[in-house]
Amino acid sequence: MDSLTALLEGFATALQPQYLLIALFGVFIGTAVGVLPGIGPAMTVALLLPLTYTLDPTGALILFAGIYYGGMYGGSTTSILLNTPGESASIVTALEGNRMAKAGRGAAALATAAIGSFVAGTIATVLLTFLAPGIAKLAVQLGPADYFALIVVAFLTVGALLGSSIPRGLVSLGLGLMLGLVGTEVLSGQQRYTLGVPSLADGIDVVLIAVGLFALGETLYVASRLRHGPVRVIPVTRGWRSWLTRDDVRRSWKPWLRGTAIGFPIGTIPAGGADVATFLSYATERRLAKGRARAQFGRGAIEGVAGPESANNAAAAGVLVPLLTLGLPTTATAAIIISAFQSYGIRPGPLLFETQSGLVWALIASLYIGNVLLLVLNLPLVGMWVKVLRIPRPYLYAGILAFAGLGAYALHFNVFDTLTLLVVGIVGFLMRRYGYPVAPMVVGGILGPMAEEQLRKSMAISQGDLAYLIHSPFAIAAYTTLAVIIVTGIWLKRRKARLEASPTLVPTGAIAAVDRVDAPADSAARDRE
Amino acid sequence: MTDSTPVPLGATAPGGIPDQPDPAGGVGRAGRRLAGEVAFAVVSAALGVYAIIGAGFIRVPPGSASVLGPRAFPYAVGVLLVAASVAVVVQIARGRRGVPDDGEDVDPDAPTDWLTVAKLVAIFLSQLVLIEWAGWPIAVAVVFAGAAIVLGARRCWMALLIGLGLGLVTQLVFGAWLGLSLPAGPLLDWIPIFHG
Repeated sequence: MDSLTALLEGFATALQPQYLLIALFGVFIGTAVGVLPGIGPAMTVALLLPLTYTLDPTGALILFAGIYYGGMYGGSTTSILLNTPGESASIVTALEGNRMAKAGRGAAALATAAIGSFVAGTIATVLLTFLAPGIAKLAVQLGPADYFALIVVAFLTVGALLGSSIPRGLVSLGLGLMLGLVGTEVLSGQQRYTLGVPSLADGIDVVLIAVGLFALGETLYVASRLRHGPVRVIPVTRGWRSWLTRDDVRRSWKPWLRGTAIGFPIGTIPAGGADVATFLSYATERRLAKGRARAQFGRGAIEGVAGPESANNAAAAGVLVPLLTLGLPTTATAAIIISAFQSYGIRPGPLLFETQSGLVWALIASLYIGNVLLLVLNLPLVGMWVKVLRIPRPYLYAGILAFAGLGAYALHFNVFDTLTLLVVGIVGFLMRRYGYPVAPMVVGGILGPMAEEQLRKSMAISQGDLAYLIHSPFAIAAYTTLAVIIVTGIWLKRRKARLEASPTLVPTGAIAAVDRVDAPADSAARDRE
Repeated sequence: MTDSTPVPLGATAPGGIPDQPDPAGGVGRAGRRLAGEVAFAVVSAALGVYAIIGAGFIRVPPGSASVLGPRAFPYAVGVLLVAASVAVVVQIARGRRGVPDDGEDVDPDAPTDWLTVAKLVAIFLSQLVLIEWAGWPIAVAVVFAGAAIVLGARRCWMALLIGLGLGLVTQLVFGAWLGLSLPAGPLLDWIPIFHG
């Protein structure tokens, strides 16, 4: 009940006109940037970081909540409407959503995605509201060894589960840890790995790592293999009536709820974030589909949009549970949010609910508000998002470069940061080219220093006895869970690879194949209607 | 960290000439890709070695012998990097190659165009000089217009115009309105609203 009162107070803060405006702006700009092709939620949050630099902490966090939810949602519009053969399979929504759009059912796909996101986001935020304070209370009792165990869990799950192979994920993690080492060592005050450069004495800001890897690295990579020629956006029929028929709603509501049930728990554990959740939801919907829906899978089944989109947003809220209660980021986006918290001197963790209670509850309240705003904004503004999708690519990527430069320079108003950004960006480009996941590097960069701190605290308590690290039941449980997560994670990835390779799904790598399959799929869909 | 730059840039040189004209283009391209993939893993391993060697030079304050000193964690990071990079090299040798990222705007059949990447890097480097000498709006205009033209914008003047507009708008919004101290540059500093 305590949390309910606190939540109401949070609403009282978040509903003040200026914060409401900030939330609206955050959702709007977050969606607008998230809709831009090639920009995922992590890049959205990283690029828009400079907007928050001059706001007060409450305003900044509310803006962030809006940007976060908007960015998470924006990608679905892109994958449904952008007509790109060879689409990345990581965006599961594209599998069915794109086909629905080609069959003239784009409006229904967008609507089920928007309402599903709203339903899932709201349920997941309710769960967050009631779970987080309890978890925070438990977490206060955790010692440094327990924290170290949690961080190791985050390291290894993120490192081992993201990307095509375990060693590649670990290399990426190691590079991030290496960047985290640069700077002044806390206890003895000496500089490590700064190569004598004074600007490196404060360490490498995580914002530089994130913006460099996501914005600059992605731009360089896309530039190296840019698809030339006109942008093909699938047209959407206008008018409210065509959005969702009664039949669509009947087929969508169960996937919405199932997606939420899958997405939220996966978001809360460090298991790769929304990607894994969307995939699992898609696989579930495909298995559960019967009759007509079953035949439609692979050609535009609405269940295949409704489920994964809900899972995506539920996972987005789930990620906030370990972030707010333990201070542990489990995805790259969460790592960037943590660094934003830190720039205000706020340290997410179990004490946050006591020391900054007003702030946290205003943030949680603004998540509810953000969800409503998303729903209100998105459906009517589809026409605008379509225009955003049409931005000619040279201008789009030139703009990303310009804003990445702004984000780096605005950190300390020092061009050395711009140079660091460029170096990290080149590393990010090479990692994409040679098949390394970049997210573990961001997580390593932010969690590395925390890991060292907790490890050294534990060792100071135990006078150097390593057994102390596994003395508490919590730490033992964490390491056991780690083993379970990694084994099931690898199993899931094998399944995902098998599913992608299975013949009923159109193989996404080859343009020719997609074009050939599209034509009959379109006419088949039209025949049915 | 800065150690890793020479190799990526060095790798640009052989691929700097666009990939097509080579009669044995397919083979040469695949060979270069393999070499680049191995080189990245080797540089990562070298960074790990650097972490280990560098850790040896960290001073351990006296009286902390029984407690974990400032060297232990860097050693661990170095060992992790070396071990993981070696494992990647072994995987490559066994034929498990890295899969390049997909993306909405990535042409899966296009060869890597190193020249464009090099040009973009050079354009971005111009910020190091331009932001402080010429001011933020002009630096943005150069980066935006340069990048757009390199990426194939149809009309150069359009790119320049949008770039200049973007520079002025960001200067106004972030510099004057939000209060970030972006330098307006000698050309605009006399206008009060740009002065922030």
